[in-house]
Amino acid sequence: MVLKSLSDLKKIIAGGPARKLVLAAAQDQHSLGAVIKAWKDNIIEPILIGDKEGIQNICEENNYDISGVRIIHEPDMDKAVEMSVKMVSKKEADILMKGKVGTSTLLKCVLNKEWGLRTGNLLSHFALFEVDTYPKVIAVTDVAMNIAPNLQDKIAIINNSVSCLVRLGYKMPKVAVLGAVEMVNENMEATLHAALLSKMNQRDQIRNCIIDGPLAFDNAVSLESAQLKGIRSEVAGDTDLLLMPDIEVGNVLYKSLVFFAKAKVAAVILGARVPIVLTSRSDSEQAKYDSILLSAAASK
Amino acid sequence: MVENVLALRKRHRIAVAWAHDFNTISAVCKASDDGFAEAILIGNKSQIKEICNNSGFGSGLFSIIDSDNETSASEEAVRLVKSGEADIVMKGLVGTDKFLKAVMNKEHGIMIPGATMSYVGAVEIPAYKKLLFITDTAVIPYPDLNQKIAMANYAIEMAERFGIDIPKIALIGASEKKSDHFRYTDDYIEICKMALDGRIKNCIIDGPLDLFLACDSKSPEIKGVNTPVNGDADILLFPSLESCNPFYKSLMLFGGAELAGLIRGTEKPVVLMSRSESEKSKYYCIALACLMA
Repeated sequence: MVLKSLSDLKKIIAGGPARKLVLAAAQDQHSLGAVIKAWKDNIIEPILIGDKEGIQNICEENNYDISGVRIIHEPDMDKAVEMSVKMVSKKEADILMKGKVGTSTLLKCVLNKEWGLRTGNLLSHFALFEVDTYPKVIAVTDVAMNIAPNLQDKIAIINNSVSCLVRLGYKMPKVAVLGAVEMVNENMEATLHAALLSKMNQRDQIRNCIIDGPLAFDNAVSLESAQLKGIRSEVAGDTDLLLMPDIEVGNVLYKSLVFFAKAKVAAVILGARVPIVLTSRSDSEQAKYDSILLSAAASK
Repeated sequence: MVENVLALRKRHRIAVAWAHDFNTISAVCKASDDGFAEAILIGNKSQIKEICNNSGFGSGLFSIIDSDNETSASEEAVRLVKSGEADIVMKGLVGTDKFLKAVMNKEHGIMIPGATMSYVGAVEIPAYKKLLFITDTAVIPYPDLNQKIAMANYAIEMAERFGIDIPKIALIGASEKKSDHFRYTDDYIEICKMALDGRIKNCIIDGPLDLFLACDSKSPEIKGVNTPVNGDADILLFPSLESCNPFYKSLMLFGGAELAGLIRGTEKPVVLMSRSESEKSKYYCIALACLMA
């Protein structure tokens, strides 16, 4: 199934029971608002862990009706996060979302060796974009978590992302490994990685996808561009997943798409036992909602 | 910009290296029609003639110099400009590497001695309130401090030609946090110091800044960050070609933007565009070269 827009994600979760989302340190207007809206649309069933009074105040101030929502009172933020992670660990929740707590605090709990959500995989950031001028959604990774991934890291990042796309219904997603140029250049490590990853894919060392690279951005998303440069590639112009060389490049592209191309975006952290939703103050309401939607569609 | 060029009332002679693609020939012909350029197309004479005949370009609009390969076509184009027989050299359907090799040749090239070669682009983006100058989308893969300073100065110079007196420069990074993780941080801190003590003039510089803080006026408030650029950048300077290149391509392909760019550091203007750029973009580049000539 080709996803043309982010709202197509709703088709994936339609018919099944709503996934349980636990919001860690839920006394946070930014995340709470999106969670309540997603709940009203039957996308998830929320479990709010945090300071009960704080949560209720926010709901009153913003007219959120939370009657029937399960709230577990825990005023201490660190304990609230621990409790949330343990809940997921015990399979009492399917998605973990960050509330009024720092990202590093949350991730530290996620990575706890005893009761955390480790799988042995690297954690990575996965963003799904909907852009007017591209005929389907396009995933971009990793624009926010791994600063300077080496080859092994990139293999892990691809595997996380491909597994997610497969859960979203893709059969053999096409992965473009981005470089500034489409030729392999000894002085540009990203292009060397691209060549290695493509070869490893050919040899079935990386599976369930078709990888090609290096491809420059225009070759990846525009068949015309690729043809003009005489590039023969199964992925060019038809990319489902764009692998970024590092966070500098990824971050710039992500923000460019959001700000200048007015793209819609949904993002989750992959690599733990369940998808993790981290939202920031600069995310739009729509982006937060779509991230929750993505996490629901991506959870097993 | 085109109006300014027309006001110059001069026909600039443009030598095109390996003029084998429709978009390039078309752009040059349009500039010629509009009165500010004259084309000298270098490449396989019969192939060029065929493209022109098929597209309806009268061969009276330009002269053709026969050349049998991309390298010698590039060398010939540069030679014409060096000798004064042409004013501007433009890249056709030849790879950037081969083309720049001819431009940078120590004996026969047109580099200003000791100058850094870099690329500045002027982008018109529907979603942004004004023209944005970006560097370096094409030439320097990982600029060191001196190269970044050169890039900043070239961009300031171009902005001034467009009437922007004290441009705001955002030194772009993944975030505004200064960190050892990001190799550009030290350079950016040094550049900001240089702007404060006047070693880099006529501008307001801040960085590292992310794209939102550079261009979104709401962002500084949301993030609680104080910056003189304040979401109002005129110039964006990138830490690497790897980050700048997909940025400008995403603007063009998904942001509906138009770009005109120029190589700096050369004795005469050098027009360099990706082979996949549209005719319109190439036309604007020609106009920009004529303006900066």
